[in-house]
Amino acid sequence: MAKIDEVKEQVIIGKTKIVPGLVQEALDEGSAAKDILQAMIDGMKVVGDRFSAGEIYVPEMLIAAKAMAKGVEVLKPLLSTEASTSLGTCVIGTVEGDLHDIGKNLVNMMIGSAGFDMVDIGVDQTPAKFIEAIKSNKNVKLVACSALLTTTLPALKKTVDAIRESGLQGFKIIVGGAPVTPKFAEEIGADAYAPDAGSAAEKAKAIIAA
Amino acid sequence: MLTKRQNLLETIRGGNPDRFVNQYEAFDCDPRSPFGMIMGDPIAAASPRVGRGEPPAKDGWGVTRAWPANVPGAFPVHDEAHKVLKDITQWEKIVKAPRLDYPQSEWDKFKPQIDAIDRSDVFVTLFGAPGIFEQLHYLMGMDDCLIAFYEEPEAMKDLIAYVTDWKLRYAKLVCDNFAPEVIFQHDDWGSHRSSLLSPDMFEEFFLEPYKKWYGYYKQRGVQLIVHHNDAYSANLVPFMIEMKIDIWQGCVTTNKVSDLIRKYGGKISFMGDIDNGLVDRENWTQELVERHVRRACEENGKHYFIPCITQGGKGAVYDGVYDAISREIDKMSKEMFR
Ligand code: B12
Repeated sequence: MAKIDEVKEQVIIGKTKIVPGLVQEALDEGSAAKDILQAMIDGMKVVGDRFSAGEIYVPEMLIAAKAMAKGVEVLKPLLSTEASTSLGTCVIGTVEGDLHDIGKNLVNMMIGSAGFDMVDIGVDQTPAKFIEAIKSNKNVKLVACSALLTTTLPALKKTVDAIRESGLQGFKIIVGGAPVTPKFAEEIGADAYAPDAGSAAEKAKAIIAA
Repeated sequence: MLTKRQNLLETIRGGNPDRFVNQYEAFDCDPRSPFGMIMGDPIAAASPRVGRGEPPAKDGWGVTRAWPANVPGAFPVHDEAHKVLKDITQWEKIVKAPRLDYPQSEWDKFKPQIDAIDRSDVFVTLFGAPGIFEQLHYLMGMDDCLIAFYEEPEAMKDLIAYVTDWKLRYAKLVCDNFAPEVIFQHDDWGSHRSSLLSPDMFEEFFLEPYKKWYGYYKQRGVQLIVHHNDAYSANLVPFMIEMKIDIWQGCVTTNKVSDLIRKYGGKISFMGDIDNGLVDRENWTQELVERHVRRACEENGKHYFIPCITQGGKGAVYDGVYDAISREIDKMSKEMFR
């Protein structure tokens, strides 16, 4: 198997210690940095699909993402000189009053590994903070808001409302979290909803292409 | 009419209940406690629970707990400044379980409220939280904890053994002093759609510790283990049965409770199927509650099922929701138990 394919396989099974070395070997074999990155992105897509299908669980996703991050570290100095393949910037955060972030972090990893530049503003973020992040970052194509509590569903609506009222444009809004339903997402005027991290990445790509 | 406890036993044994068990009624034994279950003992007293809107405080394990006024419950704080265990391999040096050696006089202070319980009507029910898994992620934060199962499995097993041993010694004191009939123990094992760990990993790390802990309670005369876990965990039910859990409280709708009853009824019972996420909302209505209670009662039937809000104690986030559910369950009892 070519080293670049091994990189993909080892990302899928979350071998954090092996991946950085393999990335180096793939480079030595002559693979381009952006192709190795793409192989890891493809690997994370497999991981996301398996998670959506219930074949793997949160720890497996976390270690796969960690393995990819270690591989990306090796590529970083090379990638900045090659042409960017970014799909745009995605601002992601958990809404005001809510401190749950495991789901948001997984969504962050998956949307990130699908090719977006991620700006994670963290948990318990006011609508004003989301707006500030949209203004202060370049090329924002997607805003992702997470809410895990029934008591923060109103904050999710407030956040979407405030972003719309700000008049800022050029991006789509995706929402999610355990108590969020497709119907609720539609009611509050979000552009998309996804039930889990794997499908969030797919939705993200689809709506910005639409 | 059966007493609350008789009716519960008939329900979970597949006998002749004369109505639905109404949510937490059979465990509601201590009017002075927030959830109606026994929550006080010398060890708990030394590890204060923060109240809503109060400043954050450290519990007996050193975990900082916060409860801002605008949030439905207290939670552990895990920023860099507050996380107790940042490197799992160092746990022996860092983790210190709370002391258990209190004089008898301290235990005696809690006995009047236990003596006051009408044992002919309700069970002497002891509330326990957190569980073994929760204790780990309270100390480490959830992400580090989940990764450590892969990266440092031996250290995790040692820490789990340490926590379990402490819980067993605590259990002995509780049985010696309170002779509880029901243990209501929290430990959330999943998210809304999946268990946090795969069944294999769950079995490897948690089956034996729980068998020991719950087995000990049973050996000491505890009649029922009620385990709270308001998450998806349908894939873990065989382990719950092996651990000697009698009632899984908190089973949310994503578990397809009626299928579980068909498959496992008689070995374990299910309490829940009325999700906070569905009914405990800012804009709730009696009609909304009615719809969900009706569906739960009709789908699940009279045996091995207790209709209940999924949260881990009586009450709800929004005023009136819990009582609204109770009223609808009474209505369903009149309709279905004629
Ligand atoms: C772990 C956990 C915690 C941890 C959080 C640690 C952390 N760093 O995040 C701690 C212990 C700190 C905690 C605290 C609290 N929690 Co909590 N928690 C959970 C639990 C058990 C699991 C959540 C989780 O991490 N799941 C794993 C991830 C992977 O799944 P997920 O979050 O659902 O995310 C997936 C999808 O929803 C989706 N998604 C998520 N976000 C987004 C965003 C977008 C854009 C998209 C497209 C998709 C998407 O993709 C994700 C990956 O597939 C749930 C139980 C449950 N049934 O959900 C309760 C739960 C959410 N918590 C609850 C509560 C009440 C609390 C507390 C108030 C304390 C308490 N008394 O229990 C505090 C609140 C603190 C606060 N202000 O936010 C309740 C909420 C009930 C309600 N009324 O809504 C739940 C349901 C359990 C319960 N009933 O007690 N909690």
